[in-house]
Amino acid sequence: MTATATAPEGGKPGAHRRRNRWIGLAFAALPLGVYALVVLVPLAQSVQFSFYKWDGVSASTWAGLDNYRTFLTDPVLRSTFGHVLVLIGFFALLPIALGLLSAALLTRARQPGMAVYRWIFFLPQVMTTVVIALVFKRIYAPDGPLNTALRAVGLDSFAKTWLGDFTWALPALGMIGTWVTFGFCMVLFISGTSAIAPELYEAARIDGAGPVREFFAVTLPGLRGQMAVALTLTITAALRTFDLVWVTTHGGPGTSTLTPAVALYKAAFQNPQVGLAAAIGVVMALLCLVIAVVITRVSERD
Amino acid sequence: MKIYKAGVAVILALGLAACSPGSGTSATDENKAPESVSTDVAKAGTVTLKLTDFWGGAEGEWIKQVVADFQKKYPNVTIQRTNEDWGQLNSTLNLQLQDDSGPDIATANNGWQSLGTLAKGNLVRNLDPYVKAYGWDKKVPTTIARQNQFSADFKTMGTGSWFSTPMSRTSLIGLYYNADKLKALGVEPPKSLADLEAAAAKAKAAGEVPFEYGSLDGSTTILLGAQALLADKKKLNDYIYGDASIKAADIGMTEAITLTKKWADAGYFPPKFEGIDYQTAVANYVGGKGVFRWEYTGSLGLDAAKQGKYGYLQLPQASGSGTVGVGAAPGAMVISSKSKNPDVAAAFLDFMMSPETGQLAADRGLVPALSPDVKVPSTSLSLTDESKGAATLDTDDGYVPYFDWSSPTMLDTISQNLQLVYAGKMTPDKFTEAVDKDRDAFLAGQS
Repeated sequence: MTATATAPEGGKPGAHRRRNRWIGLAFAALPLGVYALVVLVPLAQSVQFSFYKWDGVSASTWAGLDNYRTFLTDPVLRSTFGHVLVLIGFFALLPIALGLLSAALLTRARQPGMAVYRWIFFLPQVMTTVVIALVFKRIYAPDGPLNTALRAVGLDSFAKTWLGDFTWALPALGMIGTWVTFGFCMVLFISGTSAIAPELYEAARIDGAGPVREFFAVTLPGLRGQMAVALTLTITAALRTFDLVWVTTHGGPGTSTLTPAVALYKAAFQNPQVGLAAAIGVVMALLCLVIAVVITRVSERD
Repeated sequence: MKIYKAGVAVILALGLAACSPGSGTSATDENKAPESVSTDVAKAGTVTLKLTDFWGGAEGEWIKQVVADFQKKYPNVTIQRTNEDWGQLNSTLNLQLQDDSGPDIATANNGWQSLGTLAKGNLVRNLDPYVKAYGWDKKVPTTIARQNQFSADFKTMGTGSWFSTPMSRTSLIGLYYNADKLKALGVEPPKSLADLEAAAAKAKAAGEVPFEYGSLDGSTTILLGAQALLADKKKLNDYIYGDASIKAADIGMTEAITLTKKWADAGYFPPKFEGIDYQTAVANYVGGKGVFRWEYTGSLGLDAAKQGKYGYLQLPQASGSGTVGVGAAPGAMVISSKSKNPDVAAAFLDFMMSPETGQLAADRGLVPALSPDVKVPSTSLSLTDESKGAATLDTDDGYVPYFDWSSPTMLDTISQNLQLVYAGKMTPDKFTEAVDKDRDAFLAGQS
């Protein structure tokens, strides 16, 4: 996945190894079969369902591209794309910027107890989203810690019903995402920075580069692979946002925090609209795929 | 690359080879009722039935006792009970009923989302012969019976054949009051909507929160409770059952949303109620905050001590024409089309509607229905009141179904738009229009 590949080693494989390939394939056949059964078959079925109007039980009717058209033209469903764009800002761009900054600061000077900090910042990444969502629901509550803190310092006018406010609910959810992915990005970048050859930094310093120049000339290019990983994972996480929304707002107030994944769940499991749900799923899967391919291509370009 | 191409070919082949989804279970054989049925369980021989339900807690205790009593009555019958949580069973029941070893009897959810889909898909049995054999149509009030009926073409709910049965329990929307607080305010429990508004104003003036409520997750109980007081019973029933000639404006929708918004603007809800979720609001109310609360019966989770402190009111209609309340059985009992012993299963459903099982419900603090002579412990103010409410609705035949049965997406529509109305981003008229739009779109897709 990362582009920081080590130099190829070892000699050429001998010609006698060629026939072993078939043995290798034979070994891989079982896992490949399982993969086909649990991933490819449902995938194909989803694509198929997306062309039908189906309640999940009785006979379906051919719908052509109607489900896709509904997803792209229904004002509520279409608005979910806008919400996801906002979430990408909070899930991907903000944490990566913060992660780069903190990695640059932390790697400049070794402080005692750094491992502990790293561990603390990384913690949200290993916690279950539902737990995180419940904690933040409490924090954002009308009489919760956030509003209490704001009032304590005299900022009463900033106290809000965060998750119940049409303007603030989506950014409030986004901040949870930032909190979750920030630690991950930071740890990724710190480990990436430590893999950059120290000679490059020395050379930059000899050339008279300051800390800022050093960051843009050495650290940032050296982290291209890590950036690609971080971007891919965080953007797809933003696109897939479900549990966070489901536990805190159910897509409300109104439909101001509805995401495609929540709309998909509602269509598939609450309202008998399996075809529409499949269409949403297919579009989101394609979108994730395209984003991953674009990021990989761009990051690997010289 | 070769493998990749092969994979694509396989996927395409799979897609093309498979026939259209759902065709395996399509109603090629009409969902016809069997010719002759028997009500004689003792003669059925040794029978084992599988029951799957979504009841836990006191409700779970109730069904366990019902099963035990039925087995005692008919020693030749064994009922194996499986319990699943509500969401789990709702999302998988259609699959379970397609399985040959699936349940004989199950709890479904009324409305189009679940029961309608199962009936249309021929997965549950048409119960009409049993209705005749047991006289269910005479036992059950019409407004409850309709909740289990679908037309032969499965385009209309509330008319035609029975596909499920209610039971000797009910779940209503009504108004709870904190008895101590009312006493402290010097107010009698309200007897009408006007009384309620006067009491709420008095509570507000005394610094209390009149209605404990939160709208974070789009709770609509208060709106539907108010609508039942304002709407015409027959029209509201017909609207929900898909009579396209009736519009949302005819069923008190605009009046109900206007009233709810008025209460919100008058500060009758807790401060910042937009940020309070359902669970918190319930916990606050049971913890002693707020005077009144619109709620489904059984949802407050009152313990024995608290049951003496909270009363329940089924207010009469604002027009003075009897009592109308939102209510339904807490589950629609269905018999699987694959069941080999439908006669015995039907006998069990009949038993679930009997006064004996109604008494079992009351003994466990659950609201009994269809059983006028049930004895309720006098120490429980809430259960006494709730039973009274259910009995009134039984005699007035005054049930209206949950509004979200009118279309599969209706609950989302009213939840989302209610939040818009609270925020002043939508007018009551537009709210009513949005309700019509949702239902009309669904009806158009049905025909």
